[in-house]
Amino acid sequence: MNPADLFRRRLLVVAGKGGVGKTTVACALALEGARRGLRILLCEVDGLAGTAHLLHVPPPDVGSVAEASPGVFIMRVDGRAALAEYLGMVVPVRRLLDAVFRSRIYHYFVAAAPGLKELMTIGKIWYEAEGVQDASGGHKWDLVIFDAPATGHSLQYLRMPAAARDAFSAGLVHREAQRLVELLTDPARTAINLVATAEELPVNETIGMYRQLRDLRMPTGVLFVNRVHTTDFADADIERLRSAVARRREERERVALAEMAARAREEAGWTRVNARYRARLAEQVEMPLVQIPFLFSEEFSLAEVREIAAHLRREVPATGRRERRA
Amino acid sequence: MTSLEQVIAEHSVVICAGSGGVGKTTTAAALALHGAQQGRRTIVLTIDPARRLADALGLRELGNEARTVDVVARGSLSAMMLDQKGAWDALVERYAPTPDVRQRILGNRFYQHLSQSFAGSQEYMAVEQLYELHHGGRYDLIIVDTPPTRQALDFLDAPQRVGDFLDRKIVRWFVKPYFAAGWATLRVMNRTVGALFRRLEDATGLSALAEISDFFTSMSGLFDGFGERVQRVNRLLRSKRTAFVLIASPEEQVLTEAEEFCRKVSGLSVSLRAVVFNRVHRESGLDPRAYAEDWLRELAARVLKSAERAAAYGGNFLRYETLARGDNLRIEAFLRQLRARSRLATVMVPNFDEDLHDLDGLRRMIPFLVGAD
Repeated sequence: MNPADLFRRRLLVVAGKGGVGKTTVACALALEGARRGLRILLCEVDGLAGTAHLLHVPPPDVGSVAEASPGVFIMRVDGRAALAEYLGMVVPVRRLLDAVFRSRIYHYFVAAAPGLKELMTIGKIWYEAEGVQDASGGHKWDLVIFDAPATGHSLQYLRMPAAARDAFSAGLVHREAQRLVELLTDPARTAINLVATAEELPVNETIGMYRQLRDLRMPTGVLFVNRVHTTDFADADIERLRSAVARRREERERVALAEMAARAREEAGWTRVNARYRARLAEQVEMPLVQIPFLFSEEFSLAEVREIAAHLRREVPATGRRERRA
Repeated sequence: MTSLEQVIAEHSVVICAGSGGVGKTTTAAALALHGAQQGRRTIVLTIDPARRLADALGLRELGNEARTVDVVARGSLSAMMLDQKGAWDALVERYAPTPDVRQRILGNRFYQHLSQSFAGSQEYMAVEQLYELHHGGRYDLIIVDTPPTRQALDFLDAPQRVGDFLDRKIVRWFVKPYFAAGWATLRVMNRTVGALFRRLEDATGLSALAEISDFFTSMSGLFDGFGERVQRVNRLLRSKRTAFVLIASPEEQVLTEAEEFCRKVSGLSVSLRAVVFNRVHRESGLDPRAYAEDWLRELAARVLKSAERAAAYGGNFLRYETLARGDNLRIEAFLRQLRARSRLATVMVPNFDEDLHDLDGLRRMIPFLVGAD
């Protein structure tokens, strides 16, 4: 796909190995989408309220929506709550439902049925992405961004609808699962984006995930390579600084020279590691690659997310067409 | 205060816990290599090593077998990769009363789901594997790398969770004929509730329930010893010979999760003995008031004879000082909180100039973990 089309989808999934900055990229995409005039819903699942934390707002209750920044709404989705909500739609008698929710066998069932929570979570996200506003008939959101859990677990989420569809040859579940599969595999509506850092473990995992997505025929979006170091320093210069230490008398100068050499070596080392693994990603993953620079900040907070959003603004060109859908 | 070196020396099981992406696997392997260097028969039970580390540890092929790593050490180093599907299968193979039952279980779709995706099953199998290794007596130091979870405590809860899951009182409901007792009770309670459950079944899969029922019927004999097994495994996790080491990095989110871990763990009777911070940016120790960027540039320019390159070196140093200051502040705040409650060994492993995942990398890490020797 063309990165410029990213903001014309209905659903963007942001996936990747734990600790590579998925939540950061998801938040930055949301901020940039909102800047382009889209009404964005940003969903997360693992109960840690990472998006609220990064966007510097109090975490909303599970299942409810809060506006974290103009045009950016966040929601924490929980499979169990989504199942309860779904049953509430199917069976609108509150008293009966309460009896079900109180029973032990229900809780056991929810814990035991493989993939049920994942299926319900994706169902809820589908409902938000495709849901229609009552009055105008327009979509509730212009774009839903799903900050997915770490690789293995997010594959479980993505696989569940097809598994559920195949497990039932007909009936309600088959039909509903089929609708989820259609959304998840439709390149016009959905893009699965990957986030990686250009290092051994995340790169291996990303290549593995990319292959699985391809096997599942899921539409891929952009591969974000995060925290890239880009300053190389010549070994000869580093060595000259290091050997100059011995010629200095003043302690302050000795420390400063040694430290300048050591930090240059550190930066050059990571620059080379990143370049090597970035090349491997480019070679093995057929997705457009957007590189995000490493940010040298004392702490990573909203200002840094905004900086990355501004970077995406330059890297992901606008389409020229109006991106907001009617 | 004890050092991490003492913690390793005084325990026979060391469990490395922490959130994903903080270098848990590498740290576990480095601690194991250190154990072997100290003359102990060591094994590292690992989950998902980087390919080059897997190569270095001789773990290219999957499977539950321990492999000896070829290192020069007074003791020995073995490594074993946790393959949870294989471990469940091995458990079934061991406990199934007849080949027939074994086949039925292994071929059951619910079992296949369960062994791959039941929350906590990977954690449980790691504990189970640990118990087997400990029981076998071939090693006097076992280092465990825990599965990558965001909630590191899952590892501790897993035996209980799997135990509850296989709780016979509730499992009986699932045993053929399908939920006879359960449905009857429900019908008495309220006919519509019964109908509701059928709807729920429809929404999630009747066949799944039938498979579950069949699975529990086949497994029913296997559960008899299970509660006791969970008890034994739990005892090992809480034994005096077992130490937990928390692996973290100086990132805000990682430390938030680490704090949560420490808070929760203090209520459980496990012994958290050390915290390792990986990838810490070190401060130079220079007082920032004592120099300016211009001064750095001039100093570098005198050596490099190029104002432009000197500026790059000076700027880079200052950017790394910024990172180091942030890391330091976060770690200090974390440790202040922690020290109020407990006395832990803490070690800091610096951010190296490369990705570490071969034996040389592990050797580079060891002096920071246990002090130069």
